[in-house]
Amino acid sequence: MDLVQVQNLCKSYPDSATGEFFALDNVSFVAKAGEVFGLLGPNGAGKTTALRILATILQPTSGSVRIFNFDVTSQADYVRHSIGFVSNNTAIYDRMSAWEMVEYFGRLYGLPDDHLYPRMEKIFRKLQMDEFRDCPGVKMSTGMKQKVSIARALIHDPPVLIFDEASLGLDVMVARALQSIVLDLRDQGKCIIYSTHIMREVERLCDRVAIIYKGRLLDSGTLPDLAERHSQNDFEELFFQLLTVGDDEYRPTPPSPVLGAFDPARISATRGSTP
Amino acid sequence: MNWSHVKLIFHREVRDQLRDRRTMFTICILPVLLYPLMGMVMMQVAQFHREQHVSVAVVGLENWPVDFPLFAEPKTADKIRWKTLASAEFDKTAIALAKENEHQSADPIAAEKLLRQAEADVIVWVPNSFGENTLAEPLVILSNQRWERSQLALQLVYDAVGQWHGSRLRTRLAETHLGASYIQPPRIEQVDVSRPEMKRAIVWSKILPFVMLVWALTGAFYPAIDLCAGEKERGTLETLLCSPARRREIVWGKLLTVMCFSICTALLNLASMHITASIVMSRFAGMGAGGMMESLGPLPLHSMGWLVLLVVPISAMFSALALAVASLARSTKEGQYYLMPLLLVGMPLVMIPMIPGVVLSPGTSIVPITGAVLMSRALMDGEYTHALLHLPTVVTVTILCCLLAVRWAVRQFESESVMFGGNERSSMSQWLRNVWRQRESTPTPNESILCGLLILVCLFFGRLALGGMSLSWHSIVQSTIVIQIGMILAPALIMATMLTRSVRKSLRLNPPRCTDLFFAAGLAVCMHPTYAAFAAVVSQEYKLGDQTTSMLLQFDTIISSTPIWGVLLVLALIPAVCEEMVFRGFLFAGLERNSGHLRAILLTSLFFGLSHGVLQQTITASVIGVLLGWIAYRTGGIACTLVFHCVHNSISMLLAAHSSRGEHAPQWLSWAIESVEGRLAYSSLWCWLSIGISITLIVWFATNGSRQPIRFLRPSPDLRT
Repeated sequence: MDLVQVQNLCKSYPDSATGEFFALDNVSFVAKAGEVFGLLGPNGAGKTTALRILATILQPTSGSVRIFNFDVTSQADYVRHSIGFVSNNTAIYDRMSAWEMVEYFGRLYGLPDDHLYPRMEKIFRKLQMDEFRDCPGVKMSTGMKQKVSIARALIHDPPVLIFDEASLGLDVMVARALQSIVLDLRDQGKCIIYSTHIMREVERLCDRVAIIYKGRLLDSGTLPDLAERHSQNDFEELFFQLLTVGDDEYRPTPPSPVLGAFDPARISATRGSTP
Repeated sequence: MNWSHVKLIFHREVRDQLRDRRTMFTICILPVLLYPLMGMVMMQVAQFHREQHVSVAVVGLENWPVDFPLFAEPKTADKIRWKTLASAEFDKTAIALAKENEHQSADPIAAEKLLRQAEADVIVWVPNSFGENTLAEPLVILSNQRWERSQLALQLVYDAVGQWHGSRLRTRLAETHLGASYIQPPRIEQVDVSRPEMKRAIVWSKILPFVMLVWALTGAFYPAIDLCAGEKERGTLETLLCSPARRREIVWGKLLTVMCFSICTALLNLASMHITASIVMSRFAGMGAGGMMESLGPLPLHSMGWLVLLVVPISAMFSALALAVASLARSTKEGQYYLMPLLLVGMPLVMIPMIPGVVLSPGTSIVPITGAVLMSRALMDGEYTHALLHLPTVVTVTILCCLLAVRWAVRQFESESVMFGGNERSSMSQWLRNVWRQRESTPTPNESILCGLLILVCLFFGRLALGGMSLSWHSIVQSTIVIQIGMILAPALIMATMLTRSVRKSLRLNPPRCTDLFFAAGLAVCMHPTYAAFAAVVSQEYKLGDQTTSMLLQFDTIISSTPIWGVLLVLALIPAVCEEMVFRGFLFAGLERNSGHLRAILLTSLFFGLSHGVLQQTITASVIGVLLGWIAYRTGGIACTLVFHCVHNSISMLLAAHSSRGEHAPQWLSWAIESVEGRLAYSSLWCWLSIGISITLIVWFATNGSRQPIRFLRPSPDLRT
């Protein structure tokens, strides 16, 4: 079941130098339940913009995004109840304890007390957060904060979870713990969109990946598919190869919204044709 | 809107702020400690002040009349330390030198040296024959007005000499047959009928609203920065934005928090200051300053109640403003920069009520904050009927301003560029190139507002420059052309050419329908009696100055002696064309974008009113500007408003010219226009008839205009969800 459907997504900003800056240019992909979909790209590729649109924080300039079959623009309220968003930008409150923080968001999601507290107990146990449940945010370590963020995103049991560079700044131990949480969630049947620029994480976690660069989708598919298509088994090398081609900036035809085989001739910018 | 979200956010934010030590210190602890500490310092300073002595050196004390020794004056004796200097140490040439220096402002150091050498604050030089003959050489006092102690000493010496002279005069008179009563001034006894507590209320009612306002703003600003810029900085805002709470709910939750702290700060400061001041004043009263005590003693409880009532609307307004301004900032540091502009905007509104003679009136009641402050003062003074009369206006204006401020704050939260905008750097030339490249067919709202402000600034300086001209037909023509074409039309035309792709669309030069034109002219004719009545009421309420009245009379005489076609061309057609092209054209075109029709109508009428310069005209023009704006919106162009404006001005000019010549209206108009006390006026028949026709025509424009009716609540274009 396609829980996330992104079709011809464009996002542009007014820019004083160039007039208009395209953060996302005709990006399309789908993600299913029970899979980790990796969004891969260097810094400034447009990953955060795409995920912010998925999380209804930003509005798309054009194109459509449906989550759990709800439209992010017209049915934003339903979308918000269907997603959990964890990003390195979604910090936790300094003057609130872990327990209060999760409780606050649980209440914002409208969970009744008899449902909220058992769920909180369960999540705190599962994420091993009981020892710091009364610790204020300001005294928490990065790993603790990340756990609180995840607990906050999980509290309303959403079918779709979005992790935007969630492992940024985490040490090896905590990053490992995060990965096992993600895999655990996938096994529960959640659809997980995981953005990163760390290749090892992609190899370890993602069932399918989409490579995004300068706002454009370069290619997508499972890792073995990509390796076969580009005759390159080293994924980091493959990624670098794709970015180099993407940098060449030749744009003969607009890309097809249908995901398929990679063809360098189709890597194109459609700035002229964007509505 | 989901109020449970608002409540949750409010509870969280309040708890968060209460856990922040800095906020608690500024909001709660500082006011409680500040005023008692200030009071303590004041008492100390007062003590110090009383013990201060000045040192006065006297040269030639032997010349002082023996009958009344200078040092013995009881009132000044304890404040002055007298010392004598031998004449040898201090000869007359030094004094002459000092006097010379004072007048010629030559080298002042030599004179200053005299004082320093004598180690005195002032030096008094007594001439030889002093006291015998007042016309002889004067008593010379050498002082340095740069030194505060010297100023004080000078005053004390003056007092001492004055008292010495008084007592000597009384003694000498007593020796004559006239007696001392001869120079006694008549006795005056003053009886004050006001109650002491009312007098206190008046003094406090001038000070406290000001103090309260400053603290309401400070109390709103710091939490607002923490709640917006602080959250952005710490990264928690994005966490909240992806929660089910909508932007509007987040703003309301935060607004209530900010308001809560603003009210608390204002009230705590008010209470602390009031209590401290009362105690300090009672101590001063004990030291012999009875009058002061009477005026600054404790405020009656009911007056305090009115002040507390004033806190709520003022805090609400400042909180919303502070929240909107704080949301613009990307960091708390940047947020701090915005406090000063906000204070500068708020301060004049609080200062107006402190100007002597400003009271609650229809005019002041529509000024935000000023009206509320004056209202609370009227209530504190016990003028309940007067206050009640203006209550609806003040309440409406305050609520309207609050809602506008909240709307602005919500807009800021909905704007992606404000919430997630980066620190974009670009060069000026790049920016200009981009402005040129991205020109659109009509101006943007910001460009329109800029144009309006530019015109107002041009008019301000232009009128100052033209103010000195003598009033003649020649000068009227000259100033009208300079103002209308040079200062009103030119900025808009230049901006339309430079900043937009289509001058025609920017000035809204759309072809009109003939019926629209005809009915616009008809409406102008029919609205004129109502306008004239309204203008009369306005000039009744706000009396014209003597200078303005005499200028108006002169103006009428000039136009009555000028060919009527000239008057109509210069004073009706040219202003109509220029003002309509600018206000209902360029300004309206920009402001009506993004369904901002209501905004366009209100702001263009405000700019139109302000461009007239005289208060009375500003009021009437603003009101008629709303009608013109509405017609401009309904007809989609400026042709109809141009016709309306031109016909309206023409009728005013014709009536003024005919009245001034003492002529009667033509026979065929005698049913509508009659002569009253030598001036032409509308008959009551036509007045009533014209109101009826005007309403019909307005209804016609409302139903037959080329546009859809105004939608006051527009659907969400962006992040409303």
